Amino acid sequence: MTSTGSSSSAEATKPAATTAELAVAIASYNDVDTIGDVAAAVRSGLEEASDGTASLGGASIVESRILLADGGSNDGTPQRAREALGPASASLMEVTYPRAAGDLLDVPYHGRPARARALRAILEGAHTLGVKACVVIDGGIRTVAPGWIPALAGPVLEGGFDYVSPFYARHPYEGALTKGIVYPLFRALYGVRLRQPAVGEFGGSARLVEAYLDADVWDLDSAQIGIDLWLAAGAAAGGFKLCEAPLGRRTFHTRGEALDLGTTLVQVVGTLFADLEGRVDVWQRVRGSVPVPLIGDPPAVVLETPQVNVEGLIESFRLGYRELRDIWTWTMPPKSIVDLRRLLDVPPQRFRLDDDLWARIVYDFALGYRLRVLPRDHLLRSLTPLYLGWLASMILQVRDVPPEGADARIEQLALAFEAEKPYLVSRWRWPERFRT
Amino acid sequence: MWQQVHKIVNEASSRIATGIVNFLPGVVVLLVILAVSVLLAFVARYVILRALTSLDFDRHARQIGLSAHTDWSVTRSPSLLIARAVQWTFLVLGLLIGLTALDATMPQQFALSIFGYFPHLVAAALILIVGGLLARFVGRAVLIGAVNMHIQSARVLSLTAKWLLFMIAAAMALDDIGIGRSVLLLAFGILFGGIVLAIAIAVGLGAKDVVSRAIERQLREPSKPEDTLDHV
Repeated sequence: MTSTGSSSSAEATKPAATTAELAVAIASYNDVDTIGDVAAAVRSGLEEASDGTASLGGASIVESRILLADGGSNDGTPQRAREALGPASASLMEVTYPRAAGDLLDVPYHGRPARARALRAILEGAHTLGVKACVVIDGGIRTVAPGWIPALAGPVLEGGFDYVSPFYARHPYEGALTKGIVYPLFRALYGVRLRQPAVGEFGGSARLVEAYLDADVWDLDSAQIGIDLWLAAGAAAGGFKLCEAPLGRRTFHTRGEALDLGTTLVQVVGTLFADLEGRVDVWQRVRGSVPVPLIGDPPAVVLETPQVNVEGLIESFRLGYRELRDIWTWTMPPKSIVDLRRLLDVPPQRFRLDDDLWARIVYDFALGYRLRVLPRDHLLRSLTPLYLGWLASMILQVRDVPPEGADARIEQLALAFEAEKPYLVSRWRWPERFRT
Repeated sequence: MWQQVHKIVNEASSRIATGIVNFLPGVVVLLVILAVSVLLAFVARYVILRALTSLDFDRHARQIGLSAHTDWSVTRSPSLLIARAVQWTFLVLGLLIGLTALDATMPQQFALSIFGYFPHLVAAALILIVGGLLARFVGRAVLIGAVNMHIQSARVLSLTAKWLLFMIAAAMALDDIGIGRSVLLLAFGILFGGIVLAIAIAVGLGAKDVVSRAIERQLREPSKPEDTLDHV
């Protein structure tokens, strides 16, 4: 990764009060439909936290600030936020950050242009305020509740945690890219069972904020896309104290047209693979994994079952095998290709992609990404049919089991990634054995 | 009379001997130049191969997408390919320089015309190499993109894009070295016109059933499975 050379300094408006215990930051861009609810929820959450209504481990917040980092909305988002905050807008601090002409052209999967610069400005603002905890919320979320603020800030202020990751309730079919690649790979690499490391919200301690600001990730090429994942990896690899907070459902207001699966996969998996290259000395020493405590009670939610055409997924895998097999041989050993060949003829009901095979495939692609056996964009896009095959296999295994059973199935997959990790380590160290 | 004959024979012999004497140094120079160029070619090949190997050139070439794993490549090592190219360049240049040393009009003209042609040959070779790499890159991108869009005829699309680009590169290269300019123009006109005409006729007349079945099949292909799923 090379530096873009862009300036990353934040120009924070100086607050009237220079210190606060908690900063809640809202990152927004053309979110006029949702920002009102988000701001109102933040205001209520802070009120509950300051008058002791909400649990913060027995403490209440004396002083808090709200930060708004808007990416140049042209739909009146900042005005709408100020209106929704009402009297609380007195504690609002608007932070600005440099924007580049190309921000809107390179659309990230999370739909937030200049995400890294926004986050950096927020963290610099929080650091200036000298807060003990900083919570970041996205202005495009439809389901923010006041309880999210104490849930993300409480473990930092009273529990001594450095990084609080939200744990959103999701249907077993949803978030498959996270469940099938990001989580198990992240867990195997960094040794922590952080289940949703790519989400855009988090709570962080002053110590973590300082470490983030010192990190050299802000100006890297893919920072605007992968910064959330990299910050989670930084917390996991940096020895910080991590926990998860159950927040219920997260639905998002879509900014513009959604990306196709191939591009999403390139961005998400690519940024994770890029992170691997920068933390070799950390992940090669990690063995096994430790659980991350879940702080708080999960709210009751009803999850809708998404419509999925499993046979269509299997057909996509088969088409991929027929046409992309030659490309896969650049990164996968012959044995894996032969194992995949066996899946071509099985009937859909018996279609199963073994966990250890899937783990090796992901590791092979990580290594291929590192060695640039193909242009990286081509390599990652060619993973799409394999991912769809894995997804079909997973759905067939969990569709008739309760949600706990689906979670257990993902746990089994994550264990396979941990068991196969020596495969990655050995090939990473001795790449000449690659493709044998 | 015999004296006259003897004189003519002597003069002829003298002219032949003079010619041979004048020609022989050129041949010797040609042989020396050839020997030196052979020697230089092998030394250059050895030095370049060693240098590129020590610089791990093959790996860097792969990293920037300049892999020699091309369909038309004779070797799997870019270093070896470059070393061989340099070796043959030395040999050919040695031969051409040697030919100019001969005291003969035709070889000299041939050599000089080749020298005049050389920049065009280099440019044509570069066009072919860049065109070949670009065709391969685009062909692979089209293949992967089409598969991810669940298009059954992804391979056909990929090959079409790849060969179209390669043919354009080949035509540009041939045009640069001045081979069949008008024929090329005509051939391309006929080719593209023919393709468009064939598609029009296929749709309108003979293959309308096949085309309608193909369109129907495409429409019946499984709908994008990511439509209702949030993957991240």
